[in-house]
Amino acid sequence: MTFLLNQELPEKIFYVNRQKLKDYADASGDQNPIHQDEAYAQSVGLPNVIAHGMYTMALAGEAIRSWTGDRRNILEFATRFNKPIVVPAEIDVAIVFTGKVSEVSATEMTVEVAALCDGVKVLGQTKARIQL
Amino acid sequence: MAVRGPELVGRRFSSVQQNSVTSASIEAFARAIGASSEIVPPTYLITFSISAAEEFLPTLDFDWSRVVHGDQRFHHHRPVCVGDLLTATSEIENYKSLAGNEFVTIRTDFHESVDNSLVASTWSTLVFRGESA
Repeated sequence: MTFLLNQELPEKIFYVNRQKLKDYADASGDQNPIHQDEAYAQSVGLPNVIAHGMYTMALAGEAIRSWTGDRRNILEFATRFNKPIVVPAEIDVAIVFTGKVSEVSATEMTVEVAALCDGVKVLGQTKARIQL
Repeated sequence: MAVRGPELVGRRFSSVQQNSVTSASIEAFARAIGASSEIVPPTYLITFSISAAEEFLPTLDFDWSRVVHGDQRFHHHRPVCVGDLLTATSEIENYKSLAGNEFVTIRTDFHESVDNSLVASTWSTLVFRGESA
């Protein structure tokens, strides 16, 4: 597979819900109750339960894998968490990822990733440097 | 005594834990994010960053109920592999206070225990939201 400068990478959608946040908390060890307990989240001034930023970043990593193939090494991977993803009970919240090749050489490339939830950019400056 | 503010910068913490990279832990993490466990997901090391942070973060004088994650970066010097035994060393690299919120950036270096080679570094910025934020 060859990649070209400014190549657009196709939309990849993941759905997040309360069960998935619980599964991510158990797998990652991040048991902060703001990601699981609505009453607690609201008591500390959040609108509702919010997704782990790191879960969203992990899904961005999965989007990248879908674009580049399984076996690529990700040398660097960075993001800002711009806006929280609110996850109400009993609802699947869609996160839409798109990407663009912003640098490419014979040995590596950089992919910039955008993540939208309800039209809002939830991640910022999301970039991965990938070995080719 | 608990310390906070700019004097936190430069504080270092060596985790006493050895972080063992097992196929079971990779599978558990990959399953939770819907990924294939044939490769190590690029954010997998966060599991070790969290356990390292849990050792020293409670000693810092912050309101932990008001923390959110500001940004995150991973730099892999080589792929993480099953069988790696990684030690974590953390340092507070940056602190700033902005509009009532406090931003604390922690770098964690992961070294292979056998030859002490640097495998990866992670940077996490935690944001402690002020009461009005």
